[in-house]
Amino acid sequence: MSEPILVAENLTKWFPVKRSLTQVVRHERTWVRAVDGVSFSVEKGEIFGLVGESGCGKTTTGKLVMKLLDITDGTLKLQGEDVTHIKGAALAQHRRHVQMIFQDPYASMNPRFTIEEVLMEPLEIHNVGKDRAERDVWVREILEEVKLSPPDEFLVRHPHMLSGGQRQRAATARTLMLNPSLIVADEPVSMIDLSTRAEILSMMKQLQREMGLTYIYITHDLSTARYFTDRLAVMYLGKIIEMGPAGTIIDKALHPYTMALIGAVCEPVSGKVNQIKDVPIKGEIPAATNIPTGCRFHPRCLYSVAECWQEEEPTLDDIGGGHRVACRRYKEIERLGNAARTSEASLGLRRTA
Amino acid sequence: MKRDRLAQLRSFWSEFRQVRFGMVGVALLVVFLALVIFERPLLTYRDVNSRWRDMMYWTDSPRYALPVWVNWFTSKDYATSAVIQAQNVQEAEGVRRTTMEFPYEFKAGRPPSDVLLQLALTGQVSLTLDIVRPDGRSVTYQKNTSSSGSQVLRISVDQNLRERVFQMVASAEDPAVAASRNPKQINSVGVLFGKAQPGVFSDPQVLDGTYVLKLDVTLVGATAKLDSAKVIVAGGVSGILGTDAQKRDLWSGLVAGTKWALIIGLLTSIISVVVGVIYGVASGYFGGWIDSLMNRIYEVFVSIPLLPILIVLSAVFKPSIWIMITMMCIFFWVGPVKTVRSIALQLKENAYIEAAQGLGASHRRILFKHMIPQLVPYAFASMALAVPGAITYEASISLIGLGDATVVTWGQILFDAYSSGAVLQGIWWWIVPPGLAIALMGMTFAFIGFAMDTILNPKLRTR
Repeated sequence: MSEPILVAENLTKWFPVKRSLTQVVRHERTWVRAVDGVSFSVEKGEIFGLVGESGCGKTTTGKLVMKLLDITDGTLKLQGEDVTHIKGAALAQHRRHVQMIFQDPYASMNPRFTIEEVLMEPLEIHNVGKDRAERDVWVREILEEVKLSPPDEFLVRHPHMLSGGQRQRAATARTLMLNPSLIVADEPVSMIDLSTRAEILSMMKQLQREMGLTYIYITHDLSTARYFTDRLAVMYLGKIIEMGPAGTIIDKALHPYTMALIGAVCEPVSGKVNQIKDVPIKGEIPAATNIPTGCRFHPRCLYSVAECWQEEEPTLDDIGGGHRVACRRYKEIERLGNAARTSEASLGLRRTA
Repeated sequence: MKRDRLAQLRSFWSEFRQVRFGMVGVALLVVFLALVIFERPLLTYRDVNSRWRDMMYWTDSPRYALPVWVNWFTSKDYATSAVIQAQNVQEAEGVRRTTMEFPYEFKAGRPPSDVLLQLALTGQVSLTLDIVRPDGRSVTYQKNTSSSGSQVLRISVDQNLRERVFQMVASAEDPAVAASRNPKQINSVGVLFGKAQPGVFSDPQVLDGTYVLKLDVTLVGATAKLDSAKVIVAGGVSGILGTDAQKRDLWSGLVAGTKWALIIGLLTSIISVVVGVIYGVASGYFGGWIDSLMNRIYEVFVSIPLLPILIVLSAVFKPSIWIMITMMCIFFWVGPVKTVRSIALQLKENAYIEAAQGLGASHRRILFKHMIPQLVPYAFASMALAVPGAITYEASISLIGLGDATVVTWGQILFDAYSSGAVLQGIWWWIVPPGLAIALMGMTFAFIGFAMDTILNPKLRTR
């Protein structure tokens, strides 16, 4: 786990907003700053998680890595090569190495295709395999790999004839056809029944171990992120605000936003069911056209002070153990949090007594 | 790879067979194709393709004759049309005199519309025609004629023998009634074939039996000669589909028109729909300035009226069915564009299009493998709709005299019927068959299109 397979530096994607006539006359332009300077690297064989609420730019980041969208600014390197502005044959090659699993496995497969056609497609596009017989063998192997067996039964089916879990297995199989070096999994289990989620994730993890795959796992679900990923990055309004080993992020979150996200996770455990959670956050997520000055989280932060919006935006600093956080006051907040936890614990003790 | 495609086709066919109306469409198509393939043996008039507009070719036929099968449904049969060749030809060498007989076996509920003697003669000739009825009464007609070259002489009962026919049966009618009748205004053929009894002029009752037309020709001049002679009975019914105002056999016209309907309809609709669908999909898929540019080009084509261009073209070139088809293709491709573009705008937002892009699929692959197959049902539906459209457009071009005069088309038949007032006269056999043929041709493709829709769109399947 040393050579980075993917390095993103200051990755930026701004979408232009359609202008009114007066804006055109005044040469004004507004932008949706979907991804606003994101830097991270993904090591070979690692599962890197991107979490955040909807609209924070995590899917856009995934599409930038896929090169499905043009990069506005920053650089993207795959296996040491700059792929920021590649086109044509180089882009086709990039898409052979980087594959994506989409959120909705049904929508991501052409309803007219059979599973066989779906799986054959990447091979046909990149002209891999010398003849149909060889491709056929591969398709069957991969289907066995994702536990859709017997393959013959599934090859002739259309996507709508499969269950949600089976569909996502087929979608995963498709991404594996070209033996990619990086797979971007965009909320692969969010549309799947809770009962099959763990199954799919464990299958993906098993594949990762067997085939040495590297994943970027995009999700809003912290519990699967903890289970599935090695490292986590938390995004807020187009920027990573905390990043580090998955366990550290979940257990020892330092950024108030991460804490809020963790606090919002429901726990159907007896004793905690009726507890109304006091999520340490206020207000709504601001529009990406108008990002707050200073720390972009300050309007919603319970701990924000004047320096948070008066001074420069905090940088993502390493605080040891690969844990990075972009908050000026994380130390103070940590202290406050510990105090609160202690008092809560004593409160609980008293209640039982 | 090839065997694969064959297997695909076979499985498609086995699925297609399950769709009943699809099979109806295929059956109709087979019928139309059979009409085209077996055109030669099916035509009752072999030269219909080249001589549809040649009046001389149709002179022997009756005008406005009903189809023969009408007799199956009526109590009073219409006389069928027939051509009778001469029998008992006797030539006396010395005096250059020829006699011949034309027996006509008459057995019908209604008299024929006319009986004609047609002779081809050269030089100076004197002839006598006797029509002997089964009851012994007869009509005699004499004529001397002479011409330098050869001529065709036609003697019609209705035109030449009115007064003689009147005289023949006048004695059987009440003298007062007979006197009040104008011989020139009787239904001559009806009277000729009517029983000699009171009321023969007002309500003739048919007299069955053998009518013999005896012809006696004397060749006067040295160069005179009788080239041919025949008797034509213009019946009330003729052929499978009757005849029109120009005495043309409608069945032959309809059969000859089938191939043109298929050619005009299929060629125009396939070319224009294929071009239109690809254009619309590309426009919607690429978007941006390409879409804008393609839309402007589309608008130019939509706003150009085709008819004036065709008029100008027909002034420059000889009106030809191929030029017509080409022009229709050039202007009809705009038909599906807007709908297809809007479908494409919707389709390209599907995640599987993005997934295909993510897999590295080229634009061409996305257009032709992912988007256009979804439009196949729509394409077939619009093709089915374009087929009758193209056929009627061809007909309306014929209407302003720009039709291709070298071919027979259903549209032209229908237009002729319309302009001759067939609707008002109740000549239904002139209007219904070509109209029905156009409708059936449209239905054929609509049925096949809908059947393909249910197969090619798996979501519609009831499983």
